[in-house]
Amino acid sequence: MVFNSLTFLVFFALVLVLHRLPFPWTAKKFNLLVASYVFYAAWNPPFILLLWASTVVDWYIARGIYASRDKSRAVRRSWLVVSVAVNIGFIGFFKYGEFLLQNWQALMQSVGVVWVAPEWDIVLPVGISFYTFVTLSYTLDVYLGRSKPIGKFLDYALFVTFFPHLVAGPIVRPTQLVPQFETPKQASRDAMLWGLGLIVLGLFEKVVLADGGLANAADKVFAATEPVGFVDAWLGTLAFSGQIFCDFAGYSTIAVGTALCLGFGLPDNFRMPYAAIGFSDFWRRWHISLSTWLRDYLYIPLGGNRGTELRTYVNLMLTMLLGGLWHGASWTFVAWGGLHGLYLAGERWVRAKTGVTGDPAGLPNRLALALLTYALVNVTWVFFRAESFGGAARILEGMAGLAPEAKPILATMFVVKVAAIVTAIVVTQWLMRNRSLEDLVARTPWWVTAVVCAAMLFAVTITQGSGQAFIYFQF
Amino acid sequence: MSHHHEQDDVTVREIPKTRYAAIAWLALVLFLAAMTAWELKMRSLGLRTGDIDDSPSHWAVERRKIEEGDHDGVVIVGSSRILFDTDLSVWKEVTGRTPIQLALPGTSPRPYLRSVAEDTDFAGLVVCDVTPEMFFSKFIGALPQFVGMQDTWRDESPSEKFGHQVDLRLQRAFAFLENEYSLFRLIERIVVEDDRLGPDGPYYDVWKLSVASENRQYFLWNRVEQPGYLQEHARAAWGPFGNERPPLPKDMIDAAIADVAESVRKIRARGGEVVFIRPPSAGPFLERENRNAPRTATWDRLLRETGAFGIHYEDYAAMRGLEVPEWSHLSRNSAARFTRAYVGVLRERYVRLRTPPVAEPAG
Repeated sequence: MVFNSLTFLVFFALVLVLHRLPFPWTAKKFNLLVASYVFYAAWNPPFILLLWASTVVDWYIARGIYASRDKSRAVRRSWLVVSVAVNIGFIGFFKYGEFLLQNWQALMQSVGVVWVAPEWDIVLPVGISFYTFVTLSYTLDVYLGRSKPIGKFLDYALFVTFFPHLVAGPIVRPTQLVPQFETPKQASRDAMLWGLGLIVLGLFEKVVLADGGLANAADKVFAATEPVGFVDAWLGTLAFSGQIFCDFAGYSTIAVGTALCLGFGLPDNFRMPYAAIGFSDFWRRWHISLSTWLRDYLYIPLGGNRGTELRTYVNLMLTMLLGGLWHGASWTFVAWGGLHGLYLAGERWVRAKTGVTGDPAGLPNRLALALLTYALVNVTWVFFRAESFGGAARILEGMAGLAPEAKPILATMFVVKVAAIVTAIVVTQWLMRNRSLEDLVARTPWWVTAVVCAAMLFAVTITQGSGQAFIYFQF
Repeated sequence: MSHHHEQDDVTVREIPKTRYAAIAWLALVLFLAAMTAWELKMRSLGLRTGDIDDSPSHWAVERRKIEEGDHDGVVIVGSSRILFDTDLSVWKEVTGRTPIQLALPGTSPRPYLRSVAEDTDFAGLVVCDVTPEMFFSKFIGALPQFVGMQDTWRDESPSEKFGHQVDLRLQRAFAFLENEYSLFRLIERIVVEDDRLGPDGPYYDVWKLSVASENRQYFLWNRVEQPGYLQEHARAAWGPFGNERPPLPKDMIDAAIADVAESVRKIRARGGEVVFIRPPSAGPFLERENRNAPRTATWDRLLRETGAFGIHYEDYAAMRGLEVPEWSHLSRNSAARFTRAYVGVLRERYVRLRTPPVAEPAG
């Protein structure tokens, strides 16, 4: 089920009540585990089997790896290969099966072999990319000697399945969450109310800003089949940049809020990414749980920046290309990742040449670089949102001013709406660049916070969102 | 090298220090006050509780009745005209049957007729609306809220089913829950001088036209029935009425008729029947229809080439002279008269409508 649905409101209210009843701690954890399975099955019951399979396989493999810690590396590695093969096998079949077949068909045709890929009618299990990375991080941590296997199966299964993070992250690590299950947890009144406040904020971002304010403008522009003009191309892309941030950061905020109401802490996934100065800064602020996952389990094992300069650039590109492919089975996602890889490599090269580290001095310089970063990030969003390279080219041509004769797509009210919301998002992120929400709330008069909360809840209610799925569910 | 990262530590979230209880109480009071004011405002605009928005889940309830029914019932497919112009209680009174109402505003019935033909073994009577510019066009229509309608009834998740039940309860209690009066729908429709899109701007979109009860009984909204701003707007939204829109090309009409003929053939082959109904329209809208999709080139051909029976409102005295307030849909009173008239014709023609149904489908 999705967080922005009436079903979730009822579900979450029941879970909260159940969690506050005087059951023993193990029973409470069991309740949470069952609730998490219900949460997942409410979307498509049979796919719960995949989740179980992934859970059970990695439980035994981690123990196998740990039990063979004194044996040869080859033995441990063979355990790991099984884990990676099973996890990547599932995700490869369900998420990349059709993509692989189509590309194989194209490759064969290019060498003159006529072969038609069979009809591929497989539903993508929601959240598979997320929980696969969660279970993989567990076996990898045990393999790399960063942690021991979890003692209790219940704690482990709850770590994998805990519904706030299950289908769209944050991609938690065992170290971050599992110890929280060891002793009884119950949210204090303040933590509960803070958690509820975060849920309202996340719903506001998702329902009001992403779905109500920005989605239809982005949809209209990216659905164009004729040339797109300068204003429409930029506004459509800016609208999508705001939509995907509010959609995903909104989801993450709701996830953090729901966990907090139950007494648990989940890590931040976003820190004002559109105020980033440069791309390494951007990736410290955008989808943090994915970027750190890729850093720890892909970039560093590839060698990171420990080899030659060239090798570092290769590692960067590989990491970002695979990071792009993680998002979806399409070459446009690979292009998105590749562009980010090029940006990161370019920034690294410039910094090495100029010897500049950290942010530049002077507000105008910082502001100019932040806007440049934001503009270049927007170029990458074109590949992320467009359904084909042709579609992406149409938007990029418009953004470059190469389609001056194009007919307008967005009505004036849409232009005003997108410009107002996107400006508000970017200015807010800039002002909050080095501050946290917690810090802001602690310094704001209580009644102002109350008025803002009430206004957000009011806006969520009268926007009447129809429970649109979060964009990241499809990944 | 060994950097320490936050991923290596247990996540402990900071709870900012502030006056939580005071915030919660004040926010709750303000929210309830704002909601009360909003609800009263929406009621003053004529919105009512129990006026149910259509959605894929809501339509799915009706669609599933085909599988649950006795296969000797009546299914209506079409656009908004047959939807607003049919009074289901008159059907029930005259034939003992309540049709399965599958018509959708702004949507061509052809894919839905095809779905009944191909995806079901329905062998009853299909009543198919003919709104000429929609029916014979290659554009299927489908408003954004109805996208995926044809799949939802089959693939609906337990979460969506449950959510729909909660939603129905809320719509029975609150008038403000109305798609056409959501926050951004209202903002987007603010009139803008010199809109970039000119007359294609969102101000000229179709606004709220109808009210609907839980069994998908639609009627024209009383505020549109009465002369005034909303009626004028509704009329304008059907424009332009000049020569801006060209007549439907012959190849498009050919393709539409061929598509429908195939569906009719399949349904008839298993003992079912399809009838076409052309509900009334009026004013400049009717003039444009007669110009762009003239009867001889569309309706007459449709009946001839499908071999199906059809009811054109022009051919029956009881169906002429009805009220068509915004030129496209009948008033509530006229809808009852129109239904009685066309059901009477169908009852004369089809013996099966003269006998009581084997079993009334659930719901």
